Amino acid sequence: MKIELFYTPGCQECANARDELRTAAKEIIPGVIWRELNALDELDYAVEVGVITLPAIAIDGELVFSSLPTRRQLQRELTKWTAGAG
Amino acid sequence: MPLTIGKIASLAQVSADTLRYYEREHLIAPAAKSAGGYRLYERDALRRIRFIKQAQQCGFNLAEIRSLLALRGSNAACCRDVRHVALEKKLQLEAKIKAMKVMSNALTQLIKECSADSRPVDDCPILAALERANGVKRRSR
Repeated sequence: MKIELFYTPGCQECANARDELRTAAKEIIPGVIWRELNALDELDYAVEVGVITLPAIAIDGELVFSSLPTRRQLQRELTKWTAGAG
Repeated sequence: MPLTIGKIASLAQVSADTLRYYEREHLIAPAAKSAGGYRLYERDALRRIRFIKQAQQCGFNLAEIRSLLALRGSNAACCRDVRHVALEKKLQLEAKIKAMKVMSNALTQLIKECSADSRPVDDCPILAALERANGVKRRSR
């Protein structure tokens, strides 16, 4: 599974939450691929995924959160996602 | 010296109606009203009107422009806040461009399917394809 967090450079809100969400994701799904993408550098890909607000999170290329989730929301989504994949 | 609505509208190259509309949308307000009830503006308002026009040309809607103006006037805000708003707007515009390209390609395909001859419109392949897209089967004649 690949989780991608799109962020605006210099966004303090993103920076504060990033570490916590990354840790949570890796706890829930060991081996998960976690990528942090500067939306300015990855504009075309962000558009392809459907990102129109920042920060945003995509799982396996599908936009799942159009704002930063709480740890609990991410956990719930990842659990659902893994259940679906299995 | 305060400017009347006609004068400032002329300087900013907008109509007086546009300025009244901006006022209703809380984007701009006259500095005062004359004894006769006419709106009077300070020269600074000209910069604000030009800002609004420029932002509209960049695709911002009036609500977004209100936010930008608030950021512009906020001591707590900084350049990266504005960049964040601009980046989100760019993403939205790029998404629209992408959707429009899909539409344009669909039309290219339909145009290719049409030989532009003098068949009646009931046999028009473009109309038929649009009906098919809506799940409506064409009645055979």
